Amino acid sequence: MTWRRALLIIALLTPGLGVILVMIGSVFYVAIMQSFGYYNLVGEDTFSLEHWQEVLDSKQFSRALRYSAYIAVVAAIGSVILAYPIAIWLRRPFRGSLVISALLKAPLFVPGLVASFLFLNVIAFHGIVNQFLMWIGVTDAPIRLQNDRGAWGVVFLQLWKNMPFALLLLTGAVQSISDEVLDAARDLGAGSFDRFRKVIAPLTVQAMQAALIIIFIGAAGDFAFQVTAGPTNVQSMAQYMVFLKDSFGRWNQAAVVGVSLMVLALFGSLLLAILARFILKSGNKW
Amino acid sequence: MTALRSIDVSKVFEDGFTALSGINLSVEPGEFVTLLGPSGCGKTTLLKIFAGFYAPTTGRIEQNGADVTSAPPEKRDTAMCFQSYALFPHLSVAENVEFGPKQNKVPKDDRVKRVNELLRQVDLEANRDKLPNKLSGGQQQRVALARALAMRPSVVLFDEPLSNLDAKLREQVRREIRSLQREFGFTAIYVTHDQSEALAMSDRVVVMSGGTVEQIGDPEEVYQRPETAFVADFIGSANLLPFERVDDHTVETPLGRFTVHDPPVADSRFLCWRPEAADYGVSEGENVVASDISERAYQGAYTDVHISVPGAPDQRLHWPGGASSISDRITFRLPPERIRFVRGELG
Repeated sequence: MTWRRALLIIALLTPGLGVILVMIGSVFYVAIMQSFGYYNLVGEDTFSLEHWQEVLDSKQFSRALRYSAYIAVVAAIGSVILAYPIAIWLRRPFRGSLVISALLKAPLFVPGLVASFLFLNVIAFHGIVNQFLMWIGVTDAPIRLQNDRGAWGVVFLQLWKNMPFALLLLTGAVQSISDEVLDAARDLGAGSFDRFRKVIAPLTVQAMQAALIIIFIGAAGDFAFQVTAGPTNVQSMAQYMVFLKDSFGRWNQAAVVGVSLMVLALFGSLLLAILARFILKSGNKW
Repeated sequence: MTALRSIDVSKVFEDGFTALSGINLSVEPGEFVTLLGPSGCGKTTLLKIFAGFYAPTTGRIEQNGADVTSAPPEKRDTAMCFQSYALFPHLSVAENVEFGPKQNKVPKDDRVKRVNELLRQVDLEANRDKLPNKLSGGQQQRVALARALAMRPSVVLFDEPLSNLDAKLREQVRREIRSLQREFGFTAIYVTHDQSEALAMSDRVVVMSGGTVEQIGDPEEVYQRPETAFVADFIGSANLLPFERVDDHTVETPLGRFTVHDPPVADSRFLCWRPEAADYGVSEGENVVASDISERAYQGAYTDVHISVPGAPDQRLHWPGGASSISDRITFRLPPERIRFVRGELG
């Protein structure tokens, strides 16, 4: 290869690779270096494990880590579980299926913060849920539903927002399975659940993994749902990171939380994807 | 007791299309029955009704005397070989074959024995761990057949299983299917639009058109003694001529006056003769025709010769040898016993 050709290839790749390497790479680099004591806004730039030690020792961090991991796992698995039956139902077109499909995907167009705001309006003291509960006589006065300690509100919002995305990926994958393959499974004695377990799920595992990974990463880093509808006794990782940065300007510790969040996103999503494939494989062995 | 039976079966789809009407068919145990017809004649619909994928709109299905009309496919004693093979792409050859027995909770030892035996019979032992996409079309079809047979069904349903294979392979797999059917003794219902496949493989042929049965009979019967113009024209090639009855054994046609062996029945519409039915080189006597060649196509063993007949479609003959050319005058004789009369309309 001549140097001219090499230069041409580099030039052609630069718009794509450049964004990844320079923009994203620099963010990773700064976050990691900052967590080890560099890129300080104030003070000396020296290598230090002190920030890691302080953050890892704090109970608030371990609670935030567990909480974010929990929300991410529930959001990823829950969205996929909810999306599968709908994807199978919408596999073959029928009268009205396009409208149903479009309606189900509508949450994709609603920003997270707006969704949270709408949700709060529904479950607030003056919201329609409380009005309905009082109307049917379940309660005499409005009850507190928002910012529940069990994080049901956040889980609901995560599922509402992410299920359509899982549906988008799974519908295509499920539609690509031929009718004859499913008919063959049926003909060989497989009922509905076995057809799903032994044919549909293994043949759509890549779409399932993609959905799990992307939803897990998004939900692990959630900020909007948590600050508006989340419980007040625990913070998500993103919320905790912002909290550290905003209170006392602890940028280095915020960077530690940021890096931890990236590690959680990377390993958590990989683990989930590997687990999905492992369960399917062992399921196929009966 | 019949292995499989359809009684007054009809099928009307949601869009109002009538795929089948009034189908009555009995298949005996161990019989190889072919459903033959053009695209859209309802043969695959009938097969899917037998398999349980479609419910008939009216009528019922009996298997070994029991009503299975509302039984789902997984509860029927049938196994299907699909046109696209429908192998599970994520499972190996052996796992594909083992799928049915596993699903039906056959003990492991028996399962393994069945799989090994079948893979040996279809000559795929060496490929047992391969995924289906690593196999040729013929091999995939054999896996599909082994997978169906692993269920030990009393009836195997074949939905145009050879249509994706090339001519040579089709011939080979056709023989293999027939030989396995004889060896295992299962009842086979085979859907095809290929008349040569139907004639070569079947004990009985069911010729279908427009959702109805045109004729049922053994291959020789449907070929030699077609009852309708459709059957005559669809199976092989046939010359059809309108006629007027002169007396019980004489008819007048645009090709001339013919003496016939069997008199036409009341609803007969056409005189029918096969291109290979003529005696060549005969120039005197009854049923002799002299005509000019309007078209010819050399076919190797014979020349496909067309002669024009005023008021009727061109007539075709299989002229022995190749020494003929357009405008040559030829003479031939139609023996009375090779002339048939058929009902129905020209397609």
